[in-house]
Amino acid sequence: MSEHKPRKTTEKKVPKAFGWMAEYQDENSLLAAARKVRDSGYTKTDAFTPFPVHGIDEALGIKPTILPFIVLCAGITGLSTALLMQWWMNGVDYKYIISGKPFGITPASIPVAFELTVLFSAFTTFLGMIALNQLPKFSNPVFTNPRFDRATNDRFFLYVEAADKYYNRESVKELLGGTHPDSLDEVLEDTTPSALPRPIILGAILLVIAGLIPAMIILNIRAGYSTAPRFHVFFDMDFQPKKKAQQTTTIFADGRSMRPQVKGTVGRGQLEEQDSFYLGYDPAKLTAIDTLETGKFVSLQDSKTADGSAAKPAADGSAQTPAAPAAALNLPWIDKLPIEVSEANMALGKQKFETYCSACHGYAGFGDGLVHKRADALAQGYWLAPTSLHVDKVRTQPVGQIFHTITKGQGKMASYASSLNPKERWAIVLYVRALQKSRNADMSEVPADMVKTLDEVK
Amino acid sequence: MGKNTQTNRVTMATIANSFNPREIDNTDDIPGRRAPLITGNQTYGSVTDIVCRVAEDAQPMLWWILFGFSSLTAVSFLTLIAFLIYKGVGIWGNMNPVFWAWPIVNFVFWVGIGHAGTLISAILFLFRQNWRTSINRAAEAMTIFAVICAGIYPGIHVGRAWLAFWLLPYPSLNLWMWPQFRSPLLWDVFAVGTYASVSLVFWYMGMIPDLATYRDRSKSPLRRMVYGILCLGWTGSSRHWLRYEKAYTLLAAFAAPLVLSVHTVVSFDFAVSQVAGWHTTIFPPYFVAGAIFSGFAMVVTLLVPLRAIYKLENLITLRHLDNMNKIILATGSLVGLAYATEFFMAWYSQNQYEGFTFFNRAFGPYWWAYWTMVTCNVISPQLFWFKKLRTSPFWMVVVSIFVNIGMWFERFVITVTSLSRDFLPSSWGYFKPTLFDGLMFFGSFGVFMSLFLLFCRFLPTIAMSEVKGIMSAAAHAEHAEGAHGHDH
Amino acid sequence: MNLNYEKSSIELPEAWRAKAPFFLAAGVILLMLGFLCAFGGNSNGEDNSLGFRYLCHSYLANFVYVFTFTLGALFFILVQFLTRAGWSTSIRRVAEILMMMIPYLGLLFLPIIAMLFWGSSALYEWNGKNIHNSVIASKASFYLSKEFFTARTVVYFTFWILTANWFFRISRAQDESGDAELSLLRQKWAGPLIMLFSLSASFAAFDWLMSIDADWYSTIFGVYLFAGSQMSFFAMMIVINMLLQNAGKIQKLVTVEHFHDMGKFLFGFVMFWSYIAFSQLVLIWYANIPEETFWYQVRLDNGWMTFSYCIIPIHFIIPFLFLMSRHIRRNRTALTIGAVWLLFAHWYDMTFLVMPNAGPAQLVPLFGHLLGGFGMLSIFASMFIWRADGVPLVAMRDPRLPEAMSYTNPIL
Repeated sequence: MSEHKPRKTTEKKVPKAFGWMAEYQDENSLLAAARKVRDSGYTKTDAFTPFPVHGIDEALGIKPTILPFIVLCAGITGLSTALLMQWWMNGVDYKYIISGKPFGITPASIPVAFELTVLFSAFTTFLGMIALNQLPKFSNPVFTNPRFDRATNDRFFLYVEAADKYYNRESVKELLGGTHPDSLDEVLEDTTPSALPRPIILGAILLVIAGLIPAMIILNIRAGYSTAPRFHVFFDMDFQPKKKAQQTTTIFADGRSMRPQVKGTVGRGQLEEQDSFYLGYDPAKLTAIDTLETGKFVSLQDSKTADGSAAKPAADGSAQTPAAPAAALNLPWIDKLPIEVSEANMALGKQKFETYCSACHGYAGFGDGLVHKRADALAQGYWLAPTSLHVDKVRTQPVGQIFHTITKGQGKMASYASSLNPKERWAIVLYVRALQKSRNADMSEVPADMVKTLDEVK
Repeated sequence: MGKNTQTNRVTMATIANSFNPREIDNTDDIPGRRAPLITGNQTYGSVTDIVCRVAEDAQPMLWWILFGFSSLTAVSFLTLIAFLIYKGVGIWGNMNPVFWAWPIVNFVFWVGIGHAGTLISAILFLFRQNWRTSINRAAEAMTIFAVICAGIYPGIHVGRAWLAFWLLPYPSLNLWMWPQFRSPLLWDVFAVGTYASVSLVFWYMGMIPDLATYRDRSKSPLRRMVYGILCLGWTGSSRHWLRYEKAYTLLAAFAAPLVLSVHTVVSFDFAVSQVAGWHTTIFPPYFVAGAIFSGFAMVVTLLVPLRAIYKLENLITLRHLDNMNKIILATGSLVGLAYATEFFMAWYSQNQYEGFTFFNRAFGPYWWAYWTMVTCNVISPQLFWFKKLRTSPFWMVVVSIFVNIGMWFERFVITVTSLSRDFLPSSWGYFKPTLFDGLMFFGSFGVFMSLFLLFCRFLPTIAMSEVKGIMSAAAHAEHAEGAHGHDH
Repeated sequence: MNLNYEKSSIELPEAWRAKAPFFLAAGVILLMLGFLCAFGGNSNGEDNSLGFRYLCHSYLANFVYVFTFTLGALFFILVQFLTRAGWSTSIRRVAEILMMMIPYLGLLFLPIIAMLFWGSSALYEWNGKNIHNSVIASKASFYLSKEFFTARTVVYFTFWILTANWFFRISRAQDESGDAELSLLRQKWAGPLIMLFSLSASFAAFDWLMSIDADWYSTIFGVYLFAGSQMSFFAMMIVINMLLQNAGKIQKLVTVEHFHDMGKFLFGFVMFWSYIAFSQLVLIWYANIPEETFWYQVRLDNGWMTFSYCIIPIHFIIPFLFLMSRHIRRNRTALTIGAVWLLFAHWYDMTFLVMPNAGPAQLVPLFGHLLGGFGMLSIFASMFIWRADGVPLVAMRDPRLPEAMSYTNPIL
């Protein structure tokens, strides 16, 4: 590279010589010559042949390669990578049970372990060979002589490098000349300009720029913000050929995509809408009032209640509780428990009440549960306490209404229909009734044998 | 000797052979004296000439016709894939209970075909079968193209093909999960992926010296530059050759078990399940034998026209074809043995599901597929017991095409008959393919053939350096024998 | 060809001949001691049949152990002709002698037949009077009846003996004439015979070994036994060739290249066995069907667990790592160590296949089984010497012998 500068000034300079190259017709002459050269003590030698000549390593004195050892290391790396990866990914980081198979290393880990061992080894073999051979090397002084083109065809070349410590231009020439080569040439430096042709450089730059464009677009999309709707390369399941509720359609004459129930059919679960056990009120009485308006009415009532505005007194008042406040629902509540009043139901009600209700309403039903206490402390006056179950408003409610409250929710209270089945809800109602009774009982209602115990407690 | 009897009797085979006067029978060995692997008194230079001419001369008309046809087919295949991605896999006939149908059958079919190349270059190399040198390059190329065709099917079968990369264990920032390594389908990803990439490396590495030959013979500077880059500046240095040979041997040692592992893992896809007819322990070796069987059949199907078109008869001789046909015969019989073992075991197990499945295969609604498979796979290769048929290019192409058909049907029988009659009789069904199934199977042949034709056009079809290597070794053996050398 | 070797260098060592009766006697004594141990460990127990079960199973396992060497030899000979192999010519005769031991070893199968006709179900449950398992009962009525079982065994042996004899006779005839046509003749028939061989060997494995668990089935079982038999055959070949060379015979005819190649085959079949064993295991483990998994359960229960897990290092990891290097395979002593190890590993494998069916793992009967294994090997040695006596140890006039003498292993 130091001669790079003067090249411009001295156009015809003497090219540097790298050594001597002798050409032979067949591999046997090459082997004989190689042995002769080796025995003369030269070590910086090489042979160029169209196929691997058997015995040339011994004839030139080439040492065995360390490639197998490198590959062994790569194989072990591949094996450990595979086993560690499978153990960590499926056994530690993302545990996932599949057909009852254990986590960690199992017979199921072996195939991938084998494949990765081979993958690592094979690529190391190839890349190791390339690296040890110091390839790719596109510019090589041996290519300068056109005769050398036959090294990959049918001729055999022997090369003694000038870098050899015993190298002497004349004596090497004499030595090689004595092996009866077809030709004997000095390997000279390649003096043709080494710069790449301009169109190639230009083309490469253009290619790189063109290659960057998609990457930039993706980067922009990933990192930037946009108010335009997402551009769907693939639809995934975002757009589906189906109708949603409230959409119009041209298929049906009435233009509704949501179809009304076919006359004379009963939908799954629809029978429950006819049973007071599931509702808390008597639907028969309600339908007697206004079949068409019932559904609307209930929903209206619900929403109005939330607003606190007055309910529309549409019902005939047969089951209307006397002291119901204006915001209360006005339905034909049932006032008789549909479940048996028994120890078992009472126990069930107690258990469910303490699980679901006591957090807000408190164990005794005074609206002083833990949630209330904590929220009260935190909200500093803005917190609206849960209703005490012992106030008159609640005490006077028919059981059906309490059931309805549990089922649908009320105010801040959410629906418990998904957590508690109807029987459990009725059991809670039973337990609530028992709680209320315990706060408002006369001595006369206490069984005689318990009166004495009460006195003792006092 | 074999030549005389052959000319006495006029058969289809001799007629087919007589079209080609270049055919020389070198299939017989007199014990103690190996017949030449390549014929016509070749020199190193003449081997180079024969092989390089394939890419240097103008391509024959037939090449252009074939390439035009197959590239059109390939393009329509790609169009069909685009349509499939747009529309969804519902355009196929896959339907309850047969959810694994043609796409998986085609996948296994192509992967199986992709076994011959690396088997020839790796396992036959380890067994010192020198005849591999003339055919390994083309077979390896075929392997890679077949694996490409195979890889397409599971890729587009996953439904949302653009998310197929989720199969790889990469640290995802929005999924926070890893693939399921206990699933045989993931083993498949690793097995086929490793096989494809290692085969590619093996193929490319084998080509480096021959690409250097192409470079050194190039007249045009562009050609010289492209081949020069492709061969990485190979000089043929002995120091390089030494490492190269070591690396080649090591790669062969890795590729040999790898070849067996790929179809083993494919067989696991089926065999680890509990489906009767899928779950049987012979599946791994049986699938491997079947894969080698179909792979060699495809090599024969391709090489017979190839050697005729490019006049390579002296390098790919009858001996090579004869040997391949013997392997077809052997593996075909092994496959037949596996069928028999399965049937026997279905009865021997006294397991009603196993028994029913195998009875259903042979006599159920898919009896036609089963008996096509048996005829093509077990019976047709038995023709190769006759040397006359084994050495007749016409007949070997006929049989190899039959084998290819049979091996496709084998995968069809395994996949579809078992699924269509599973454990729950209420869900039984009959699978019917759609037009898209058929077109997309046909289309994959277009991809395969286009790539193979391009390979013939641009890359060395025969491993010149290896052929020269065995020429040299054969000359040495002759020399040693002539000088009755027992010097050790 | 002018292979001018001393005739004595291809004869059996003189000293060996005298040892044959000693080997036979030692073998019988060891077998008997082994039987005593089988009973000895269980003489105090009430269940007297347990000792007998150990005895029968141990005998079967040890018989199959030595028999697989000869079966492997027969396959090897067939394959050598099928592939027109040249490299193996100088070691082929030893394999032929091994193959010719099949008739001798056939005699050792007679006790098992006798036991069947005596009516014992200690080894084969299907031979019992009252079979509770309905699957076994349905098989026992026809396929697994003692008559049909015996008939099949006779067919297998007839086929193997006829094939072996035919090949051996031609090989000996070539010793006299050196006629190349004789090689071609064997080459021609190797193909069909190898197919019949694979069929017969598979079914022999099903009958002899798999049917001791008569309600279990595995289609790969024949291949499994084949893998083990090839591996143990090559191990045996290495050991015999080494012993012959140490005795001063065939030293120039069997070169380091042959040992290297046999070592490669040994290594290859270690891997092949592991591949087959793993395939069977992973399929049954993964599908987890009770009809199949119980076979492995038997090998994990009753104290067999440690024994069964040890087969992985013994039969795969240790020999795999040991034989991986080319330098080991080219070193006769090191290779022989590997071969002896694998002969043990194959015995271990046969024990794994058979013994857990006999009963719980007990040290004394297992020791007896080991003694029995040595006894069988000893009987095998005496048979080998008698069979090899008077037979040249190398097929000197095989036209492919020069090829075997001149090849080298280039790289691997």
